[in-house]
Amino acid sequence: MKRKGLRFYLRIYFKILAQDLKSKMSYRADFIISTIGMICTNIAGFVSFWILFRNFPSINGWGYYEMLFLYGFSLVSLTPVQCLFDNNWSLRMYVYNGDFIKYCFRPINLFFYFQSEVFDIKGLGQLAFGLGTLIFSWNKLGLGFTPLMLLKVTVFLITASLIMVALQNAAAATCFWITNSFYLLDLSMKFKDYAKYPITIFSSVFRFIFTFVVPIAFIAYYPSLVILRPDDVPLLTWLSPFIGVLFFWLSYKLWMHGATKYSGTGS
Amino acid sequence: MKIKKYLSLTRAGILESLQFRMSLLIMAAGNLLYLIVVYFLWKAIYASSPTDVVNGMTFSDTLIYLVLATALFNFMEMYVVWEIGRNIQSGKIVLDLLKPVDFRRYMFWSYSGSFVVNFVTTFLPTFIVVCIVTNGAVPLGLNLLYFAAAVVMAIVINYSIDFIVATICLFTESIWGINIMKQVVVLLLSGATIPIAFFPETLKTVVYYLPFQSIYNAPLTLLLDGSPSAGKVLGTLGLQLFWCVFMTAVSRIFWKVSLRQITVNGG
Amino acid sequence: MENIIEIKNVTKEFKVLNRREGLKGSLKDLFSRDYKTVRAVDNVSMNITQGEIVGYLGPNGAGKSTTIKMMTGVLEPTSGEILINGRSPYKNRSKNAQEIGVVFGQRSQLWWALPLIESFKLLKDIYMISDADYDNMLKFYQSQVDIEPLLHKTVRQMSLGQRTLSDILAAFLHDPKIVFLDEPTIGLDVSMKSKIRTLIHALNKEKNTTVILTTHDMGDVDALCQRIVIIDKGKMLYDNDISHLKGFFGSYRTLKIRADGDLAQQTELVKKEFPDFSVASDEDWISVLVDEEKAKVMEVLGKLQSTHNIRDMKLEEISTEDVIKKIYEEGVK
Repeated sequence: MKRKGLRFYLRIYFKILAQDLKSKMSYRADFIISTIGMICTNIAGFVSFWILFRNFPSINGWGYYEMLFLYGFSLVSLTPVQCLFDNNWSLRMYVYNGDFIKYCFRPINLFFYFQSEVFDIKGLGQLAFGLGTLIFSWNKLGLGFTPLMLLKVTVFLITASLIMVALQNAAAATCFWITNSFYLLDLSMKFKDYAKYPITIFSSVFRFIFTFVVPIAFIAYYPSLVILRPDDVPLLTWLSPFIGVLFFWLSYKLWMHGATKYSGTGS
Repeated sequence: MKIKKYLSLTRAGILESLQFRMSLLIMAAGNLLYLIVVYFLWKAIYASSPTDVVNGMTFSDTLIYLVLATALFNFMEMYVVWEIGRNIQSGKIVLDLLKPVDFRRYMFWSYSGSFVVNFVTTFLPTFIVVCIVTNGAVPLGLNLLYFAAAVVMAIVINYSIDFIVATICLFTESIWGINIMKQVVVLLLSGATIPIAFFPETLKTVVYYLPFQSIYNAPLTLLLDGSPSAGKVLGTLGLQLFWCVFMTAVSRIFWKVSLRQITVNGG
Repeated sequence: MENIIEIKNVTKEFKVLNRREGLKGSLKDLFSRDYKTVRAVDNVSMNITQGEIVGYLGPNGAGKSTTIKMMTGVLEPTSGEILINGRSPYKNRSKNAQEIGVVFGQRSQLWWALPLIESFKLLKDIYMISDADYDNMLKFYQSQVDIEPLLHKTVRQMSLGQRTLSDILAAFLHDPKIVFLDEPTIGLDVSMKSKIRTLIHALNKEKNTTVILTTHDMGDVDALCQRIVIIDKGKMLYDNDISHLKGFFGSYRTLKIRADGDLAQQTELVKKEFPDFSVASDEDWISVLVDEEKAKVMEVLGKLQSTHNIRDMKLEEISTEDVIKKIYEEGVK
């Protein structure tokens, strides 16, 4: 029997994804409203930002446009976890109902199969908003567009996404062990809101915690330092890609561990 | 006696809530995290500001306000929209309608159990901690009574809004989009994310005419003001009462319409 | 012949939380947990060769689903060994999945919003079925069941019977060596049941697929199974041919009478007259399961004639259902 390689998985991925898109398209009202809802959330975030800055010119040495950059950056890095790993939100229902078992009988990687089933279109609205904000603040900051800059920003965006995915993945995986994992998952998504602040506002104790214990700082702050403070890039920023990959791998292992230990309620 | 029927729902709700010990811990951790971020954020904000008092609020004023707003939010949060929305989608709503209790009241009382638990586990400890930490910056007198009355009305308003949103879900067949819009709008316009004092003037006046500020801002202002004028107390509570009655009436209308929709189309 | 399935002394234990009652109990549960161990499968052994259709029976909660989950690689046995085609299904879940098909209870594994043919195409890709094999399979399906109108329906639009049929077709699509069918005919009408039984039989003949069939429907057992395995409370009670089964209780025969008067009343009377035998009623017939070691059928008939007005009678061998009922009740002696 042939081993299933990357090409196989890529091909299958798009086919499985397509079936979710097809069925979502049929719920037009929901699609439109959800996209609007997403945009509303982003607008509200933007408005709070704006209100804040009308009262205060800068925060801890970070000006309005720099903060906006962080905000846009965090939104974009959120897109992969929002769009591609959306099924994680339904994980606990599947586990609870016993329906999860239907993912266990196919000859393909369980995690892959589970995640490829759902694609969240409304995340694209957020992507647009985030990109817009990012480009807008980029312009205002006069950062210039060199290929090197673009390369850096792409690499670090990917890094940041990996960390966000890892956090959400780990949170979702807890549903294999505890009954009310929803709150954890909800919490992990709240992290993205905290990620848009520079961690310099925290005292050293919390800076440590948010870097090494709950790595919120890697979602937007450290990666974007490469662009915003190119003369003073800390070691941690350069380490972020590796940390991103590591955390992702760890969360994957945790998820699979839970899935294989799953005994399936109901007969 | 009717009240017994409702109280047994409360009891069942408490039993269920106690089972979720993990979720209580997680919620507490999540809140703590949020509070930490808020503390440092506003500390940095005020540090960067030339004046100590902005819009009539000092750092500690703002902090106390936001901390208690969070506590209130956690206490009052009900997943009404989700539960009703899910029941509508699955068709289970029909079973709920068969119960010999008015549906809206039934839902309300079944959440009352979690209110009790939430109040004791989130709001009360937070409040006590705040009182201790700020060395009595929070006045403890008659204002507590006004606060209690305001909170009760706030719950009713919040519930009615949630219920209306849930019925909208029935027509749009979309849960998430509508719910997130509601949540975002309510949080922003009720002064829970940023105190209304910081809003620009025009926005401030608009907000005062909406029911949302009656949910968070109203009870909090009554709590934090040690010696409010009679006019202020009556004005705030009166406005709340108005919204209470109004929103309940609106939710009743929405419910009647949706009821027709359900019974005609079979869910 | 090589064994395609080998189960050796397999045991599966679960830790179950003992929830305490009442408000006080819930508070206690908050601080300390009380677990007990449940043995769902107890030292079960079984060998199955390629091409067999095995009926896997047992009352609810007997341990059937647990065994099947272990055979499909979803659960790991606490002790003992399972080999499917020479491999441990648990350690090689993905590889094992290539060679098995599963229809598990009423949970469809097909894509809800897709027309059946699209689901098939996806499965073709996932299982890496060659174009030739795929076309042949579909042709074969068409020759057995008129699947053409079904192919363009989405699973959501299908009736229960159509959905079950589709799931079964999907399970066999990649020509697996073993197919596990968990209660495939539950909730179906008589004609659908018969269609599905015929289909399974044909597939087994054509492809020599081993079929493990879990069911409570004796019609399924009679129509399909050459071999029966009975499990109860985690323990193996019986493992042999179906004909051997009937031989077990060979001394039993079912006497059926049609009597005048209200059926329920008459049945109650007969029950009182023969407290040692199981008595049931079915449409107009009252059936008495006579243990010929205790009383002769003719004697029973005679007694019945004296107290009832008998219109008609018939005598049957013990039904498979009754045999299995007896095994559940008494175990195999």
